[in-house]
Amino acid sequence: MNPPLLEQFILEAREFLQAIGEKLIVLEEAPDSVELMTDLFRLVHTLKGNSGLFEFPEMTRVLHAGEDLMEAVRDERVPYSRELADRLLDAMDFVGLLLDEIERTGRIEPGHAAPAEELARALRSLIPGAEAAQNAGQNRPNAVTAPEEVPLPALADIPEAARLAAFRSAVSGKPLFLIVYRPEEQCFFKGEDPFHQARHIPGIVWGKALARAPWPPLVELDCYRCLLDFHLLAAAPRGEIEEHFRYIPEQVRIEPIMPFALIIPQGLPNGGTVYDDSVAEALEFLDQNDLAGLEAATRKLLELSAPELWLSSALLWLLALIESAPAEREVMRRLIESLNTLTPPDLSDLAHRETVPAAAPTEEVPTPKAAFPDEDRARLAAILAAQAEILALPDDVDWLPGRLKACAATLAACLTGLGDDAAEVEEALAAALEARAAQPLREWLAAFLEGFASAPAETETAPIAIQGEAKPKFGRRAEDTQSGKVLKVDQAKVDRLMNLIGEMVVAKNALPYLANLAEKRYGVRELAREIKAHYAVINRIAEEMQDAIMQVRMMPVSFIFQRFPRLVRDLSRKLGKEVELVLEGEETEADKNIIEVLSDPLIHIVRNSIDHGIELPHVRTAASKLATGRLVIRAMHESDRVIIEVSDDGRGIDPVIIKRKAYEKGVIDEAQLERLSDQEAINLIFAAGFSTSETVSDLSGRGVGMDVVHSVIDKVGGTVELQSTVGKGTTLRLSLPLSMAVTNVMIIESDQRIFGVPMDLVGETVRVPLADIRTIKRRKTTVLRGRIVPLVALNDLLGIAAEPKANEDGELAVLVVRLGGQQVGLLVDDFREVVDVILKPLPGELAKLSCYAGTALLGDGSVLLVLNPKEFF
Amino acid sequence: MPVKYTTNTARLIDTVNVEDAEGLLEWLQTQKKPKVNLSACSHLHAANLQVLMAAKPVISAWPKDMELAAWLKGALDTR
Repeated sequence: MNPPLLEQFILEAREFLQAIGEKLIVLEEAPDSVELMTDLFRLVHTLKGNSGLFEFPEMTRVLHAGEDLMEAVRDERVPYSRELADRLLDAMDFVGLLLDEIERTGRIEPGHAAPAEELARALRSLIPGAEAAQNAGQNRPNAVTAPEEVPLPALADIPEAARLAAFRSAVSGKPLFLIVYRPEEQCFFKGEDPFHQARHIPGIVWGKALARAPWPPLVELDCYRCLLDFHLLAAAPRGEIEEHFRYIPEQVRIEPIMPFALIIPQGLPNGGTVYDDSVAEALEFLDQNDLAGLEAATRKLLELSAPELWLSSALLWLLALIESAPAEREVMRRLIESLNTLTPPDLSDLAHRETVPAAAPTEEVPTPKAAFPDEDRARLAAILAAQAEILALPDDVDWLPGRLKACAATLAACLTGLGDDAAEVEEALAAALEARAAQPLREWLAAFLEGFASAPAETETAPIAIQGEAKPKFGRRAEDTQSGKVLKVDQAKVDRLMNLIGEMVVAKNALPYLANLAEKRYGVRELAREIKAHYAVINRIAEEMQDAIMQVRMMPVSFIFQRFPRLVRDLSRKLGKEVELVLEGEETEADKNIIEVLSDPLIHIVRNSIDHGIELPHVRTAASKLATGRLVIRAMHESDRVIIEVSDDGRGIDPVIIKRKAYEKGVIDEAQLERLSDQEAINLIFAAGFSTSETVSDLSGRGVGMDVVHSVIDKVGGTVELQSTVGKGTTLRLSLPLSMAVTNVMIIESDQRIFGVPMDLVGETVRVPLADIRTIKRRKTTVLRGRIVPLVALNDLLGIAAEPKANEDGELAVLVVRLGGQQVGLLVDDFREVVDVILKPLPGELAKLSCYAGTALLGDGSVLLVLNPKEFF
Repeated sequence: MPVKYTTNTARLIDTVNVEDAEGLLEWLQTQKKPKVNLSACSHLHAANLQVLMAAKPVISAWPKDMELAAWLKGALDTR
């Protein structure tokens, strides 16, 4: 599973690619459209920018080149052409291929660096003066020769010891590469250390740093302009070396080296004929296949010769050959013969041959098959695959012989094209015709395909092989079978579906009524039972549908959490505080709307916690706390609510200070000052226009913030709780509905009408005897659990001219609603059941009636007006 | 301080960073017969390397790190 940000990038990148492809096609029709061109540039530019967020240098490189090209086209430096579109499409296909790989493995194989470089160059080559532009773009004022043009160092310049070591590792099976690394002049400013890069190349055998040009006098030397070249000899797979230089592939030239090319004896020449005997003797040993004798003779001769002599050098090589490549008789022979002439043996014809005992570093050796062009190869592979498909068809048809013959003819033609003998095909065909089955031909083809498929990997160097394999995929957009696992749907469509499902839930609720009706009014019991049975089925399906549509809208809270690490880091840095952020339950999911609403309040809260809550390190240490403050953001599910807790271990909120401040600012009066409990005092920070910080910083403390948080959370039916202990810390607990789709309402009756009240506002329902209701200053009140609760008749509020009705026992129904920490009793006639409804806001002009939260359809088809008690007072 | 300057010797210690190159260059420019002691050096940034290569000071001690010593000898020994 890739990190969410990467997931999103992949998703978006695919869309971009799609859009780029479409735009390019449209551009072919209207090549002059500036608007299209600008769009296209913007798309490529954005995609490049996004890719830069991740470690995908290959992708960024190609896109960067694409961007440069599009810019040139946009600025009308380059005319739009079909070729340009083709190359861009190729590049985008390549990016798509990389995306596939990223999605699969989370990274890009280093082998893609070379094709990426090639594509980028192909794109740039369309820009006139591209090289110069590129150099300028990369801050290379003096055009530096590309590494391809840098001559390779002469192998003879490499110290003998290094060459011997390289030779030994090469014949033991490691591919050998000579690398020229020419860092760009400004590389020091990019934080690169070319020397470090060179020192740590995998499989390094030898390396040398040299000046690119004679050094200027010291006074003129600019020590921050890199003028170094590095020559390196490394024994490691090409892929590893490319991976090592994956950020700067344009600065290195990597050339494979044949091990025999290293055999260059060096030293002082000394009398020739003296050694004639030895040479003859050595050749004799060789002819007799007596390697042990040859080795002994060589060692003896070596002991007798001065080490700086050419002879000694040649003998060392001979020893190395005997030890590590004992089967290379021809090489040994030539080396021994060279002792006569004291000139390096001519091994050029052998140099391109494989060393015999080597494990199988088959990479360097080109074979005739490798010369076969890649494209043809891909086509051939397609033909062969088609034949295999035909042969895999069932055999029980009359025209089987004809089919077999046709296949065989195709295969034979392919073979001739490859330069192979087609006789085997003929044999297989004969066998197949005899058996009246495709089996023999099929088997032959399978065997051949195996050999065919493995051939390129062996004969070409690794990255090209990868490219070769990728070729068919790389191909064209038309047959792109990129089947999206993710469907991007307009939210409105999902909302519509959700509404429909909601209505269906309501409609299904009509069935029990119908069953009742059937039983009671028409007295058909059986029918009633049938209806109920069906109701159960429909109910189950409807609930599952509801659940499914909720899932569609669900999003993990990590979507908003992921920005916090950065926010906390920046804030704490700014304030000189040390904060450790702990995120928990990031995978907790909630409805998209809820998540989106949460985002801003959470930022406010986190800011407050860091600014007001967590103390400066020295204050913390003085209070014997850890210097680093701890901020925990935790998300979890609690039945059908999602809970977000933000807690810090800071200084906490002091109710005394809050009260004093609130009094000073006129939020509370003197009487309240005395009366407020500590908890109530703390809740005052949610009051509008309240700020506790002594100084107003640019982060928080302007007195907006917590009241905004409160009202935003309130709007989506959530609650905010605050707990704080002085000196220990503060915990803010946000509780939000999982989804806003279904609202839980209690139905009440008043003057024979029914109304709904959102359940989250309902505190309790009580019946109060008329005798317990007193009038204080013409307002009705009662005492509930030792607290005075004001009573208001719903009928009065709604302008209904009727008195609340008492029941037979002379009690009034009181619905106690919680309104911002206060309790108010609504006098109603009766309580009914609690139902789940789909709340729909009032349409049009009616929306201005703020005392109604909306309407909902009930099971029996009636409309329920849902009240919004918050707006009553 | 990865570079310690005494009267006529600069001692390069541990990893010598890119920022040190300028100081090293200035020091080398002012010295008549500068010596450089590399014995405690484990790595030097390429900028320092090219300063040494250009200034060709006397190397009074090569690094203990054999691999680095080989590199530096290859680059600085211009015999």
